[in-house]
This record gives sequence, C-alpha cells and structure tokens, in this order.
Amino acid sequence: MTDAPPIIRLRHLRKEFDGTIAVADLTLDVAEGEFICFLGPSGCGKTTTLRMIAGLERPTAGEIWLRERRIDPLPPQQRGVGFVFQNYALFWHMSAYDNLAFGLRVRGVSPAEVDARVREVAESLELTPVLRQRASRLDLSAMQRVALGRTLVVQPQVLLLDEPLNNFRPGLREVMRGELKRMQLSLGRTMVYVTHDQEEAMTMGDRVLVMHEGRVEQVATPREIYRRPATLFVAGFIGRPAMNFIETQYQVEDGRAFLRHDALRWEIETRREAVERQAPSGRVIVGIRPEDIRPAVLAVPEGRRGETLPVQVDLVQPLARRKIVDVKVLDLVLKMVVPGTFRVDAGQTLDVVMDRGALHLFDPQTLRAIG
Amino acid sequence: MQNAVRRLSRWINREGVFKLALVAPLQVTMWLILIVPTLLVIYLSFVRWEPVLGDWTRAPFAGLANYAHVMVDARVWETLGRTLIIVFFAVSLEFLLGLALALFSLNTFPGKRLFTSIILYPMMLPWVVVGFTFYLLFLDKGPVNYILIQLLGSGGAQPWFKEPPLAIGTIILADVWQWTPFMFLILYSGLGALPKEPVEAAMTLGAARWQIFRLVTLPMLRPVIVIALVIRALECFKIFDLVFIMTGGGPGTSTESLSLFIYRTGFVYGQLSYAAALAVLLLIAISLVTRIAIRPLEYREEAR
Amino acid sequence: MTRMVTESTPSPVTVAPPVPARLYVAGALRLAVAAGIALIFFLPVLWMLSISFKPPAEWLEYPPTLWPKEPLAGNYTFLFNPGNPEGAIAVMTGAAEPVVPAFANSLVVAPLATLLSVTIGFLAAYAVSRFHVGGTFMPFFTLTTRMFPPVAFAVPLLLYYSAVIPRLIPGLRLYDTRLGLILMYVAFTVAFALWMTKGFIDAVPRHIEEAAILDGASRWRVLFTVTVPLVRGGLAATTLFIFILTWTEFLFALIFTQRFAITVPVQVSHYAGAIGRFYGPQAALGILASIPVVVTGYLIQRHLVTGFTFGLVRE
Repeated sequence: MTDAPPIIRLRHLRKEFDGTIAVADLTLDVAEGEFICFLGPSGCGKTTTLRMIAGLERPTAGEIWLRERRIDPLPPQQRGVGFVFQNYALFWHMSAYDNLAFGLRVRGVSPAEVDARVREVAESLELTPVLRQRASRLDLSAMQRVALGRTLVVQPQVLLLDEPLNNFRPGLREVMRGELKRMQLSLGRTMVYVTHDQEEAMTMGDRVLVMHEGRVEQVATPREIYRRPATLFVAGFIGRPAMNFIETQYQVEDGRAFLRHDALRWEIETRREAVERQAPSGRVIVGIRPEDIRPAVLAVPEGRRGETLPVQVDLVQPLARRKIVDVKVLDLVLKMVVPGTFRVDAGQTLDVVMDRGALHLFDPQTLRAIG
Repeated sequence: MQNAVRRLSRWINREGVFKLALVAPLQVTMWLILIVPTLLVIYLSFVRWEPVLGDWTRAPFAGLANYAHVMVDARVWETLGRTLIIVFFAVSLEFLLGLALALFSLNTFPGKRLFTSIILYPMMLPWVVVGFTFYLLFLDKGPVNYILIQLLGSGGAQPWFKEPPLAIGTIILADVWQWTPFMFLILYSGLGALPKEPVEAAMTLGAARWQIFRLVTLPMLRPVIVIALVIRALECFKIFDLVFIMTGGGPGTSTESLSLFIYRTGFVYGQLSYAAALAVLLLIAISLVTRIAIRPLEYREEAR
Repeated sequence: MTRMVTESTPSPVTVAPPVPARLYVAGALRLAVAAGIALIFFLPVLWMLSISFKPPAEWLEYPPTLWPKEPLAGNYTFLFNPGNPEGAIAVMTGAAEPVVPAFANSLVVAPLATLLSVTIGFLAAYAVSRFHVGGTFMPFFTLTTRMFPPVAFAVPLLLYYSAVIPRLIPGLRLYDTRLGLILMYVAFTVAFALWMTKGFIDAVPRHIEEAAILDGASRWRVLFTVTVPLVRGGLAATTLFIFILTWTEFLFALIFTQRFAITVPVQVSHYAGAIGRFYGPQAALGILASIPVVVTGYLIQRHLVTGFTFGLVRE
C-alpha cells in the first residue's frame, strides 16, 4: 500500500508448549496505521502470537521487530505496546480513574499532567461520569472502554486487542465494533485485533490473517479472502453458511476437460492447465458458496452462467432477509441462499444454476487452491 | 387422597430425618462439651468458689465481685499487655518472613519440593517439643550463645532466661520458627490463586516488578492477608505450651502468657471463680475483636 | 475453605525474559539461598538429634559440638527401660518414667479422636453444604471452639468432668481417662473437620448426586457411594491434619490426665521439668514424639500446598 517501512515485523515466529506446536513459522509485516485481524478457531495460535508480540510469552524461535528495534528479548514493560485483554484485566480494587492513570503514574509523570491526559482519554471514551467508580462496579461496556483507555493514555505505538468484544451480547457487539473501527481510523494507530468471529474480522480489518492449528492459512484483504480463499480451510471457515464442497474427478472427454462427480459435471477451460499441473492425482475438490447457487429464474438476470440442474428441496430455514435452503441432488446435500421473498417449500423440485465463475478448486492433498 | 398424604409425609420425613441425622452428632457434641461448660463458666464467675470450699452447687453468690477483682488486678493487665506484645511481634515477623518465603518460592528451582517439605515441618511438631528444643538452644552454654560469642566476642552471650525481655524474645523466636511456615503456606497459595491477567496488564503498561507487587498484587491479596493474620493472631494469643516448657512463666512471672496465667490461677492456686470471670471476659473481648477485624473483609466482599 | 487448585505455576510477577547465561546464575543463587533457609529451619531439630545421641558428659559441654564424640543409643533405650541404664547415664531420680504407657495412650487417643472428629465433621459439612442446615450462623459458631483460649473452657470442663458427669451418669469416669480425652479432642477439632471437608464437598457438583437420586438411590447410599469417593483426597488431608492436632495437643492433656491417661506431649513435659536435667533422654523423647506427625505431615504436604485460600481470592 504505502512505501513506508512496516511498523511490526514478525520473522519465523515459533512457539512450542511442552512439545505441542502452538505457532509454526509465522512471518508477517504490519503496516503503520493498519487494522489487521488475526482470525481463526480457538486454539489456532492467534492469541499466542499476540501475546508474543506483547512480550507475555517468549517465542521458541524467531524475531519480532517494532520499527527499528528488535523487541523479542525485551520484557513487556519496555516494548511500547498496549494490550487489551479478553476479560479486561482491570485493576478491580482501583477506580476507573486510577486504572486509566496507572500507566503514567508508574512512570513518574506529574499528577497534573496525569490528570490532563486521563481526562482527555476519558472524555473521548465517554467515561467521564464514571471516573470515580470502582472498576469492579462498572458495567461491561464501561469496563471495555476503561481497558482500552488504559492503554491509550500511555500512547503506545501499537495496540493489541485479544477478543475484546467477546463478552458483549450480539446487539451491543456490532455497535462497539463500529466504535472501535472509528476510533482506530481517527487515531491512526496500528491495531492488531484477535478474534474468532469471522464477521468481525471481515468487517473491521484492513487485512485479515487466518490461522489454523498454528499455521498461517492466508493473509489478505477481506475481499480477497472471500473471493479467492487460498486454502480449503479458509474457504470453509469464511462465509456463513459455509461453502459447499464436492469431491470430483478430473476427466478429459472429446478434448474437453471436466470435473465430474457421479452424474454431475462441470466443464473447465481456463483452469484446465492449472488442474493438470497442480492436481496430479486427478482428484479435485470443488467448492461453491451457498450464495452462488441460484434458482434458475434469478440466475439469468444476475448474469450467472452455468448449466441448469434440478434439485430436491429438503429444508427451508427462513431468516430475516434471506432463506437458507438445503437441497438434495444425487448423494449431495447442498446449502443455498435465496432472497427472503423467494417462494420455496420443502419437498418441491427446483431448478438451480451453479455459477461457473464462482467455482473454487482445491487439491485434496495439499488443501491449497488451484489456479 | 389418603395414600397421597401418607406418601408425601413419608417423603418429607426422609429428607428431614436425613438432615437431622447428619448434624445430630455435631450438635450433641457441641452441646455437651461446649455449651454446658460455657454456662458453667458463667455460673462460676458469679459465685465465690474454690475447690477447698466444698460443694460447688452451693457456693455463695458473689455478684460482680469476681469481675471487679479481675478488672483491678494489675497482674491481669500486665499479662494481657505482655501477651499482646508477644502476639504483635511474633505475628508480624511471621508475616514478613512468610511473605518473603512465598515470593521466593514462586519460581521453581531444583529441589523445591524438598525445600518445601523442610520448611513446613516445624508446624507439625508438638509445641512442647519445639519449646524444649529452643530451651536447649538458648541455654547459657548452648549453641546460640556459642555462635554469638564467635561473632561478637565474649560480650555476645546473653542470659536468655534470666532477663525478662530476653526470655520473651526466645519465646517469640520459637513461635516464629514454628509458625512462619503457616503464613508461608497461606500466602503462597493465595499468590498462586491470584488472577494473572491484571499483573500482565500492569507489565504492558510499563510497571516495574516491585511496582506491580505493591500496586497490584498486594491489594489483590489483601483478603487472604487479613484472614491469615487474624487466624494466626488468635492462635498466638492462646500461647501456652511454649511458655510452659521454655520459661514456666519465669523468671518469676515475667513471661507469663494469658493462658498460662489463667491456668495457674485456676488449676494451681485453685481460684476457679476468679479464673472463670477472667475467662468470660476473654471470651467477650475476643468475640468483639474478631468481629471488628473481619468487618472490613465482609464489607469489601459485598462491594464486589 | 480449601480450594482444589493444581500445583501453582510461577506467577508473572517474577517473570521477565532473561538471557540464558543470567538464568543460570540466578538459578544457582536461588538454590544457595534455598539451602541456607532450609538449614536454618532444620538446625534446631538437628541440635536435638545431636543431643539425643550424646552421653551425659557431652550434654552441657562447652564449646558445643554438633557431632557427638561418642554417639550412643543409650538415651533412647533409657526411655523404655529407666531401670536399666545403658552407657554412662548416671543420676536417676523419681522423675524418670517409662514412656511406653504415654505412647500407648497417644496411639489410642489420637487416631480414635481423629476418626470420630472427621466423621462427625464430614456428616455435618455435608448437611451444611447441600442443605444449608443451620444457615450461616451454625458453621461459624463452631469456629468459636478454635477462637477462644482452651483454658477458658478447661476451667468449667474440669468441674464438668469430675463433678457433674459422675453425678448424672454414675460410674462414668471421664477424668484421667482416654475416653474423656477423646471426647474433648473431638469437640475441639470438629470445627476444623467441618470446614475443611466442606470445602471439598462444595467442589463436587450437585448434579452427580441428583442423578443418582433420580436413579432411585436413597440419600444415605448416595452419600457413601457417590460423594465419599469423590472427596477421598480431602478426607485424607483432613484426617491427617486433625491427627496432627490431636497428637500434639498439650493443654487439655495436662489438665485432664494425672496418671493413667498421660499422652506423649505431657510425658515430654514431665521430662522437661525433671530435676535431673535429663537432656539426653529428653531430646530422645522429643524426637520420638515428633516422628509420627512429621511423617503424617509429609503425606499431606501436597494437599496443604494446593489450596488454602479460604475461598477469598476471586478469579
């Protein structure tokens, strides 16, 4: 994006706990001012990585650089990073004010200046009315803001957040997401945000790093991750309902290339060469998102191309704006998404079109995307 | 209808019987061994009686005379003060040393388990044995004086059991030796059970280790500290065995603890009524003090 | 009161990532300090051991040496058979008594009192934990037995034992008997038994018991076949702890025994107050008196260290 040097550089980070590999060979550059999300299921290593950046865990191997300094040998006190904990980790016995003031006070900053800075941050976070209250008595949202404010007061170079919105109920969560994003933009501070909620990562992040079992699956913008998932895991993890996967066999017939599952087959042209090269076994996993399987009557106006396929509707789950429809064809059960106004009932037969342009191909052995 | 009622009462009965059976032994024990004697003490304190005077059920009523005697007896107040001094110094030392040990033990080192075993065992020794051991140590020609002479020259040796302040010192030292492990245990467990995240947060905010300890760890540990201090202080206040064995209250009566004093008064001199009055006063005083000491704890608990 | 926390991991309070070389030095220093501290704690008993193996000539020897010049077992054998001194043990006065009766008494009183106390305490703890019997008052009330100086109770108890009970139940002697001592010990340790076991019972989820009840088991059966096995460890720890209390108890034993029911701690005091200044046998007796509890303590050490926070620390 910019030519400025990255503010954080992680090089071949590795963390082992008693023989289990929590993080394996992670290399990443984070640009200044970027909002990057670490996304993945629990246990994938995202929090461990975050803690290593903060200095709360020591890497088994690898380097961590902040600007021009190598920080992995340094204790957390000397790194200049702010950390917001999942459970806030406030100093419960202190007031909100004292929590906010803590970082400055331990550095010996004068009380006058401490007061000024604390009030400034409190103001921006709308905490002024509860400043004198004991931390343990605040409500959830206030606790969250104090946890955030506490780090902002000391003006760290980078902010690390470990699933900070986990404890919020869904409605409030969206609101807080917006608040955080807005704040990050206005402050211009680099944020590394860990979450297991893909919706959160996709809506908030400039870039998303998807992790699984200690390995990096993909690092890209949300758009890229959605449209071109690099691995089977990313494809299945992002998007709700999850992508449909169909096992197919590569076949050439009359000079034309097909991917075939039982009686179904899809013709491929542009990716033929890639398939031949990258999937020597001939087995290919085809992925198609539920939103890319469209009822035939809608497909044409939407510009989708592909053969029409009759399927059996098995289950209809109506949501607010759309419906999730389970359909059966041959031995497959696929999920598709239709607009809420579309009329469909269980048991009926429906003609659908699988958008040929929206097919994702994966090699079942390497689990990576083809082409 | 008849059947249902019968079944219902049977069901209630069973759970009720069960609960009753569970606590019955405890209640019986408490009542027999505790409550009745307490009533007896109160009775005794209001009469004039000594064993030599004969039948205790017909002892003459004395009103508050015994209590008055107790309150004006200088020896009572001296003994009380002395006991409180012992408690104060012993418990303070135990706390500080126990805390130091607990902090020291937070990180592992080779042989830590053996180390922990060794420092825990003094707690388990019979008090009389501890008393005797320290008596031996502080004999005029004993090892302590020997070491002191090596370090400080011939003036270093002290007549430990002949000077009241020194004698009290030996008692305090014996108590500290025996009970520091107790403080260590409680503080160590408490430290280990503290949530780690506020400490981590403090680290990321730039606080140095000692700052974290003072501003974050200690305040979080406060309830545990209070309980430990209260329990140990209460136990120490009752100190008897050590004094009995090491100094017998001497020289003279200058190291007599409150328990020893009551023992002497009641069982050696036979002034049971006097001792009873003193005992009742003690019971009241301790109840009040404990109440007050625990109150900040309860209050804080609610505030959470 | 006790919480089941696994062996605690080092708190971040003292963790800062040092360079490996410094770590080594820090570790060695730590070990040295630990050894020093352990030695200080061990020294007094070491001295006792030393005297217990010394002949009388060396008891008050000056300068004192740690290692006996002529070690002998005579002090120990003397305890069991004062009529036949071995080695060079000289002056005997009437204060020398064989210690076997005292050990016999203690070996009866302490285990029985412990068993009884733990049983009563456990049953009551179950009632308090599951049914909140007695509300908040009763359990705390039991603690009064530990709060007040035992002496305060001893005064009326003596009367009780020697005058009241014989009048109520003719023929029942409690003074200077093992039974009397046992009852007393039970009364004064049952509060501990209650609180310690209650902590362990609290940690067992109720639904396990409720499932068994739904299956048709009677409450008694549930208690003994479901709950007890789950709190085995806690019961063991409590038992050993109470055993230590009852074995080392001195004050009541002193007051309520005279000849027949003397326990080991009282015996030690007899020796300690003896005119003959039998330092050697006294030390030997002290060592012997300590062995049962030290062994016991070693067995429960793990339980002691794993949880003692009285439920006050919030996570």
